[in-house]
Amino acid sequence: MPDSDTLTVPRDKASLDLPWKVIVHDDPVNLMAYVTWVFMKIFGYDGKKARMLMREVHEQGRSVVWSGQRERAELYVQQLHAHQLKATLEKET
Amino acid sequence: MKITPTLEGGLRVDVEDAGDWFVLLGITRDAVSGDEELSSRLGAMITDEEISADWRDIIVPELEEGFQTDLVHVTGAIHAAEEDGGGQLWITPENAWHWYSALNQARLALHGIHHFDSAGTRPPADLDPAVRGAFLRSQFYCAFQTLLLDHVMR
Repeated sequence: MPDSDTLTVPRDKASLDLPWKVIVHDDPVNLMAYVTWVFMKIFGYDGKKARMLMREVHEQGRSVVWSGQRERAELYVQQLHAHQLKATLEKET
Repeated sequence: MKITPTLEGGLRVDVEDAGDWFVLLGITRDAVSGDEELSSRLGAMITDEEISADWRDIIVPELEEGFQTDLVHVTGAIHAAEEDGGGQLWITPENAWHWYSALNQARLALHGIHHFDSAGTRPPADLDPAVRGAFLRSQFYCAFQTLLLDHVMR
């Protein structure tokens, strides 16, 4: 007999465990210093990493700025949109 | 109009005439001038079918409310300063985000309408007068944002 009443529900491993990518897209309006500031504020990145990601967005048109659990990815995209940056999320393939 | 950093880490806007008040109120006029709300434009980027419906129903209205709050704050601050009669408007570190957001909403809307040449290959003098006016306002908003970033939002 189990020592607790916890109900174990099998989860959909594929959908829960696949990491999600948070992608920021280049746009002609947001200032580079601002994009760097947003990356530091939202993700807690240091200036060097934030500037590197900002440059990637600017030069390559997009950059994967974070990857991980879906709920966290959604929260980050919401925060990026609140800061008026073009951001999307994609499942890792 | 002069915009200068303050010792308290904010900005002071010295307004010299009625034209300056009109220019400042143009921030919110321009911010709402686009065909589609910014929150909806950003929300349309979320296309994953697992997420998009909830995003549209829950996140987009929340974002729109936040953007509107920023515009209301800025409009209120401009009107209050104008009524005060001192010709000065103060932006503190605590309310700097409202200003940056409103200026950014204005620039995004203007760019969405006029698709300014970001490479700068076409001189402003060659633009249609309405587009030239929008371009110059956008440049002013950009300079204002740079002051906020450099002196307040560090």
